[in-house]
Amino acid sequence: MTTNESTTAAPGSFAPEEAPRLEWAKHAPEVYKAMIRLDTAAKRGLDPTLYELVKIRASQINHCALCIDMHSKDALAAGESVERIVQLSAWEESRHFYTEKELAAIELTEAVTVLTDGFVPDAVYQKAAAHFEEPELAQLIAAITVINAWNRFGVTCRMTPGHYTPGQHG
Amino acid sequence: MTARTTSTTRTTRLDDGVRSALGALSAAAKRGLSDPALAELVQIRASQLNHCAFCLDMHLGIARKEGAGERQLDLLAAWEEAEGVFDARERAALALTEAVTVLTEGFVPDGVYEEAARHFDVGGLAHLLALITAINSWNRLMVGRRIPPGSTQW
Repeated sequence: MTTNESTTAAPGSFAPEEAPRLEWAKHAPEVYKAMIRLDTAAKRGLDPTLYELVKIRASQINHCALCIDMHSKDALAAGESVERIVQLSAWEESRHFYTEKELAAIELTEAVTVLTDGFVPDAVYQKAAAHFEEPELAQLIAAITVINAWNRFGVTCRMTPGHYTPGQHG
Repeated sequence: MTARTTSTTRTTRLDDGVRSALGALSAAAKRGLSDPALAELVQIRASQLNHCAFCLDMHLGIARKEGAGERQLDLLAAWEEAEGVFDARERAALALTEAVTVLTEGFVPDGVYEEAARHFDVGGLAHLLALITAINSWNRLMVGRRIPPGSTQW
Protein backbone atom coordinates (compact mmCIF):
# COMPACT_ATOMS: atom_id res chain seq x y z
CA MET A 1 0.00 0.00 0.00
CA THR A 2 1.19 3.43 -0.86
CA THR A 3 0.80 6.58 1.21
CA ASN A 4 -2.79 7.24 0.10
CA GLU A 5 -4.23 6.25 3.49
CA SER A 6 -6.09 9.53 4.04
CA THR A 7 -8.69 8.62 1.44
CA THR A 8 -12.24 7.59 2.37
CA ALA A 9 -12.14 4.48 0.17
CA ALA A 10 -12.66 1.16 1.91
CA PRO A 11 -9.47 -0.79 2.67
CA GLY A 12 -8.58 -3.19 -0.09
CA SER A 13 -10.67 -1.37 -2.71
CA PHE A 14 -7.77 0.35 -4.46
CA ALA A 15 -6.61 -0.67 -7.89
CA PRO A 16 -3.54 -2.89 -7.65
CA GLU A 17 -0.15 -1.21 -7.62
CA GLU A 18 2.03 -2.07 -10.59
CA ALA A 19 5.73 -2.80 -10.51
CA PRO A 20 8.03 -0.56 -12.59
CA ARG A 21 8.71 -1.67 -16.17
CA LEU A 22 12.43 -1.13 -16.10
CA GLU A 23 14.99 -0.41 -13.41
CA TRP A 24 16.91 1.94 -15.64
CA ALA A 25 19.41 3.19 -13.05
CA LYS A 26 20.50 -0.38 -12.33
CA HIS A 27 20.99 -1.17 -16.01
CA ALA A 28 22.59 2.14 -16.90
CA PRO A 29 24.56 3.24 -13.82
CA GLU A 30 26.78 5.68 -15.77
CA VAL A 31 23.66 7.36 -17.09
CA TYR A 32 22.25 7.66 -13.58
CA LYS A 33 25.49 9.20 -12.36
CA ALA A 34 25.39 11.74 -15.19
CA MET A 35 21.77 12.58 -14.33
CA ILE A 36 22.70 13.27 -10.71
CA ARG A 37 25.57 15.51 -11.85
CA LEU A 38 23.26 17.27 -14.28
CA ASP A 39 20.63 17.82 -11.59
CA THR A 40 23.18 19.26 -9.17
CA ALA A 41 24.63 21.60 -11.81
CA ALA A 42 21.24 22.84 -13.05
CA LYS A 43 19.82 23.90 -9.69
CA ARG A 44 22.86 25.95 -8.68
CA GLY A 45 21.78 29.55 -8.09
CA LEU A 46 18.05 28.86 -8.37
CA ASP A 47 15.55 29.71 -5.64
CA PRO A 48 14.49 26.29 -4.24
CA THR A 49 10.86 27.34 -3.68
CA LEU A 50 10.56 28.42 -7.29
CA TYR A 51 12.36 25.33 -8.52
CA GLU A 52 9.87 23.03 -6.77
CA LEU A 53 6.99 24.82 -8.52
CA VAL A 54 8.78 24.39 -11.86
CA LYS A 55 9.36 20.69 -11.16
CA ILE A 56 5.76 20.05 -10.15
CA ARG A 57 4.34 21.90 -13.18
CA ALA A 58 6.59 20.13 -15.71
CA SER A 59 5.77 16.78 -14.09
CA GLN A 60 2.05 17.55 -14.34
CA ILE A 61 2.32 18.36 -18.05
CA ASN A 62 4.41 15.24 -18.69
CA HIS A 63 2.16 13.08 -16.49
CA CYS A 64 5.02 11.77 -14.37
CA ALA A 65 3.35 10.26 -11.32
CA LEU A 66 6.60 9.48 -9.50
CA CYS A 67 7.88 13.04 -10.00
CA ILE A 68 4.59 14.60 -8.87
CA ASP A 69 4.71 12.43 -5.73
CA MET A 70 8.30 13.37 -5.01
CA HIS A 71 8.18 17.08 -5.72
CA SER A 72 4.82 17.78 -4.10
CA LYS A 73 6.10 16.12 -0.94
CA ASP A 74 9.44 17.94 -1.15
CA ALA A 75 7.64 21.25 -1.60
CA LEU A 76 5.35 20.59 1.38
CA ALA A 77 8.30 19.53 3.52
CA ALA A 78 10.06 22.78 2.60
CA GLY A 79 7.07 24.80 3.79
CA GLU A 80 5.17 25.31 0.54
CA SER A 81 1.40 25.76 0.97
CA VAL A 82 -1.09 23.08 -0.05
CA GLU A 83 -3.09 25.75 -1.89
CA ARG A 84 -0.23 26.79 -4.14
CA ILE A 85 0.50 23.18 -5.05
CA VAL A 86 -3.17 22.38 -5.69
CA GLN A 87 -3.70 25.51 -7.80
CA LEU A 88 -0.61 24.99 -9.93
CA SER A 89 -2.36 22.95 -12.62
CA ALA A 90 -4.74 25.92 -13.13
CA TRP A 91 -2.21 28.70 -12.52
CA GLU A 92 -3.51 30.85 -15.39
CA GLU A 93 -6.78 31.20 -13.49
CA SER A 94 -5.18 31.52 -10.07
CA ARG A 95 -2.39 33.98 -10.72
CA HIS A 96 -2.84 35.74 -7.38
CA PHE A 97 -1.40 32.69 -5.62
CA TYR A 98 1.99 33.34 -7.22
CA THR A 99 4.49 36.17 -7.65
CA GLU A 100 5.03 37.69 -11.09
CA LYS A 101 8.48 36.13 -11.09
CA GLU A 102 7.06 32.69 -10.34
CA LEU A 103 4.43 33.12 -13.07
CA ALA A 104 7.12 34.04 -15.60
CA ALA A 105 9.04 30.88 -14.62
CA ILE A 106 5.94 28.70 -14.82
CA GLU A 107 5.10 30.07 -18.25
CA LEU A 108 8.63 29.41 -19.46
CA THR A 109 8.40 25.91 -17.98
CA GLU A 110 5.34 25.16 -20.08
CA ALA A 111 6.87 26.54 -23.29
CA VAL A 112 10.15 24.64 -22.88
CA THR A 113 8.28 21.46 -21.91
CA VAL A 114 5.83 21.46 -24.83
CA LEU A 115 8.26 21.91 -27.71
CA THR A 116 6.28 19.65 -30.02
CA ASP A 117 3.64 22.35 -30.53
CA GLY A 118 6.15 24.81 -31.94
CA PHE A 119 8.85 26.77 -30.18
CA VAL A 120 9.42 29.02 -27.19
CA PRO A 121 7.59 32.30 -27.98
CA ASP A 122 9.41 35.61 -27.67
CA ALA A 123 6.78 36.98 -25.29
CA VAL A 124 7.32 34.09 -22.90
CA TYR A 125 11.08 34.34 -23.13
CA GLN A 126 11.06 38.12 -22.67
CA LYS A 127 8.85 37.94 -19.61
CA ALA A 128 11.24 35.46 -18.04
CA ALA A 129 14.22 37.59 -19.02
CA ALA A 130 12.58 40.59 -17.32
CA HIS A 131 12.45 38.70 -14.01
CA PHE A 132 15.60 36.61 -14.12
CA GLU A 133 19.06 38.11 -14.40
CA GLU A 134 21.89 36.13 -15.91
CA PRO A 135 23.05 33.55 -15.02
CA GLU A 136 19.80 32.65 -13.22
CA LEU A 137 17.87 32.61 -16.52
CA ALA A 138 20.26 30.09 -18.07
CA GLN A 139 19.99 28.00 -14.89
CA LEU A 140 16.19 28.15 -15.06
CA ILE A 141 16.22 26.84 -18.64
CA ALA A 142 18.64 24.10 -17.59
CA ALA A 143 16.48 23.21 -14.58
CA ILE A 144 13.35 22.93 -16.73
CA THR A 145 15.33 20.69 -19.07
CA VAL A 146 16.48 18.45 -16.23
CA ILE A 147 13.04 17.86 -14.72
CA ASN A 148 11.87 17.02 -18.23
CA ALA A 149 14.64 14.43 -18.36
CA TRP A 150 13.63 12.88 -15.03
CA ASN A 151 10.01 12.85 -16.22
CA ARG A 152 11.05 10.80 -19.28
CA PHE A 153 12.75 8.16 -17.17
CA GLY A 154 9.87 8.12 -14.66
CA VAL A 155 7.09 7.77 -17.22
CA THR A 156 8.80 5.35 -19.60
CA CYS A 157 9.93 3.02 -16.82
CA ARG A 158 6.55 3.50 -15.13
CA MET A 159 8.23 4.19 -11.81
CA THR A 160 5.77 3.60 -8.97
CA PRO A 161 4.59 6.70 -7.09
CA GLY A 162 3.58 6.80 -3.45
CA HIS A 163 6.66 5.59 -1.65
CA TYR A 164 8.75 8.73 -1.58
CA THR A 165 9.77 10.27 1.72
CA PRO A 166 11.06 13.86 1.58
CA GLY A 167 14.82 14.08 1.88
CA GLN A 168 15.50 10.45 1.03
CA HIS A 169 17.74 11.47 -1.87
CA GLY A 170 19.68 13.85 0.35
CA MET B 1 0.79 28.12 -33.35
CA THR B 2 1.53 31.85 -33.46
CA ALA B 3 4.06 33.28 -35.87
CA ARG B 4 7.64 33.12 -34.81
CA THR B 5 9.64 36.35 -34.84
CA THR B 6 13.39 36.70 -34.89
CA SER B 7 13.87 40.02 -33.12
CA THR B 8 14.82 38.84 -29.66
CA THR B 9 18.35 38.08 -28.63
CA ARG B 10 18.46 35.21 -26.23
CA THR B 11 21.06 34.04 -23.81
CA THR B 12 23.88 31.83 -25.05
CA ARG B 13 24.91 31.07 -21.50
CA LEU B 14 25.01 27.52 -20.30
CA ASP B 15 26.61 26.41 -17.06
CA ASP B 16 29.78 24.40 -17.69
CA GLY B 17 28.63 21.75 -15.23
CA VAL B 18 25.32 21.36 -17.07
CA ARG B 19 27.07 21.11 -20.43
CA SER B 20 29.60 18.53 -19.27
CA ALA B 21 27.07 16.41 -17.34
CA LEU B 22 24.69 16.31 -20.29
CA GLY B 23 27.62 15.50 -22.56
CA ALA B 24 28.49 12.60 -20.24
CA LEU B 25 24.88 11.46 -20.31
CA SER B 26 24.80 11.42 -24.12
CA ALA B 27 28.15 9.65 -24.30
CA ALA B 28 27.15 6.97 -21.77
CA ALA B 29 23.87 6.41 -23.59
CA LYS B 30 25.58 5.99 -26.96
CA ARG B 31 28.20 3.66 -25.48
CA GLY B 32 25.52 1.46 -23.94
CA LEU B 33 23.43 1.37 -27.07
CA SER B 34 26.49 0.64 -29.22
CA ASP B 35 24.69 1.28 -32.50
CA PRO B 36 25.91 4.66 -33.83
CA ALA B 37 23.72 4.62 -36.95
CA LEU B 38 20.57 3.96 -34.95
CA ALA B 39 21.63 6.57 -32.38
CA GLU B 40 21.65 9.23 -35.10
CA LEU B 41 18.23 8.20 -36.42
CA VAL B 42 16.81 8.47 -32.91
CA GLN B 43 18.42 11.84 -32.28
CA ILE B 44 17.28 13.24 -35.62
CA ARG B 45 13.70 12.04 -35.13
CA ALA B 46 13.42 13.56 -31.64
CA SER B 47 14.89 16.83 -32.97
CA GLN B 48 12.29 16.86 -35.75
CA LEU B 49 9.46 16.47 -33.23
CA ASN B 50 10.92 19.17 -31.00
CA HIS B 51 11.73 21.48 -33.95
CA CYS B 52 15.35 21.87 -32.91
CA ALA B 53 17.16 23.38 -35.90
CA PHE B 54 20.54 23.35 -34.19
CA CYS B 55 20.28 19.65 -33.29
CA LEU B 56 18.90 18.66 -36.72
CA ASP B 57 21.77 20.41 -38.43
CA MET B 58 24.32 18.75 -36.16
CA HIS B 59 22.92 15.21 -36.25
CA LEU B 60 22.09 15.13 -39.95
CA GLY B 61 25.68 16.22 -40.52
CA ILE B 62 27.04 13.47 -38.28
CA ALA B 63 24.74 10.86 -39.83
CA ARG B 64 25.87 11.72 -43.37
CA LYS B 65 29.50 11.74 -42.34
CA GLU B 66 29.08 8.30 -40.81
CA GLY B 67 27.54 6.99 -44.02
CA ALA B 68 23.84 6.91 -43.18
CA GLY B 69 21.61 6.10 -46.15
CA GLU B 70 20.14 9.23 -47.75
CA ARG B 71 16.86 7.40 -48.26
CA GLN B 72 16.53 6.76 -44.52
CA LEU B 73 17.30 10.37 -43.72
CA ASP B 74 14.85 11.62 -46.35
CA LEU B 75 12.02 9.42 -45.13
CA LEU B 76 12.65 9.57 -41.39
CA ALA B 77 9.85 12.09 -40.75
CA ALA B 78 7.40 9.60 -42.34
CA TRP B 79 9.04 6.38 -41.14
CA GLU B 80 5.75 4.68 -40.30
CA GLU B 81 4.67 4.93 -43.94
CA ALA B 82 8.11 4.19 -45.38
CA GLU B 83 7.81 0.44 -45.79
CA GLY B 84 10.99 -1.40 -46.57
CA VAL B 85 13.20 1.54 -45.55
CA PHE B 86 13.51 0.83 -41.81
CA ASP B 87 13.85 -2.60 -40.26
CA ALA B 88 11.78 -3.83 -37.31
CA ARG B 89 14.42 -2.89 -34.73
CA GLU B 90 14.74 0.63 -36.12
CA ARG B 91 10.96 0.99 -36.20
CA ALA B 92 10.68 -0.14 -32.59
CA ALA B 93 13.32 2.40 -31.56
CA LEU B 94 11.66 5.20 -33.53
CA ALA B 95 8.23 4.42 -32.06
CA LEU B 96 9.76 4.56 -28.57
CA THR B 97 11.50 7.82 -29.45
CA GLU B 98 8.20 9.39 -30.42
CA ALA B 99 6.34 8.14 -27.35
CA VAL B 100 9.05 9.29 -24.93
CA THR B 101 9.36 12.67 -26.68
CA VAL B 102 5.64 13.46 -26.75
CA LEU B 103 4.81 12.79 -23.09
CA THR B 104 2.37 15.67 -22.99
CA GLU B 105 -0.22 13.67 -24.90
CA GLY B 106 -0.36 10.87 -22.40
CA PHE B 107 2.19 8.22 -21.54
CA VAL B 108 4.33 5.55 -23.17
CA PRO B 109 1.88 2.88 -24.43
CA ASP B 110 2.44 -0.77 -23.48
CA GLY B 111 2.53 -1.80 -27.14
CA VAL B 112 5.33 0.63 -27.94
CA TYR B 113 7.33 -0.32 -24.86
CA GLU B 114 6.89 -4.06 -25.39
CA GLU B 115 7.91 -3.87 -29.04
CA ALA B 116 11.09 -2.03 -28.02
CA ALA B 117 11.72 -4.61 -25.29
CA ARG B 118 11.48 -7.36 -27.94
CA HIS B 119 14.34 -5.84 -29.92
CA PHE B 120 16.60 -4.57 -27.13
CA ASP B 121 17.80 -6.32 -23.99
CA VAL B 122 17.28 -4.45 -20.69
CA GLY B 123 20.69 -2.77 -20.91
CA GLY B 124 20.14 -1.70 -24.49
CA LEU B 125 16.66 -0.47 -23.67
CA ALA B 126 17.85 1.55 -20.66
CA HIS B 127 20.53 3.20 -22.82
CA LEU B 128 18.14 3.80 -25.70
CA LEU B 129 15.80 5.55 -23.27
CA ALA B 130 18.77 7.54 -21.93
CA LEU B 131 19.68 8.62 -25.46
CA ILE B 132 16.12 9.73 -26.21
CA THR B 133 16.12 11.65 -22.93
CA ALA B 134 19.53 13.22 -23.64
CA ILE B 135 18.57 14.49 -27.08
CA ASN B 136 15.30 15.80 -25.67
CA SER B 137 17.41 17.71 -23.16
CA TRP B 138 19.69 19.19 -25.82
CA ASN B 139 16.59 20.10 -27.84
CA ARG B 140 15.22 22.05 -24.87
CA LEU B 141 18.47 23.88 -24.21
CA MET B 142 18.87 24.88 -27.86
CA VAL B 143 15.25 25.75 -28.70
CA GLY B 144 14.75 27.52 -25.37
CA ARG B 145 17.74 29.78 -26.04
CA ARG B 146 17.11 29.85 -29.82
CA ILE B 147 20.66 28.82 -30.71
CA PRO B 148 20.96 29.07 -34.52
CA PRO B 149 21.97 26.02 -36.55
CA GLY B 150 25.71 25.82 -37.01
CA SER B 151 26.41 28.22 -34.16
CA THR B 152 29.66 27.69 -32.31
CA GLN B 153 28.34 29.57 -29.27
CA TRP B 154 26.11 27.27 -27.32
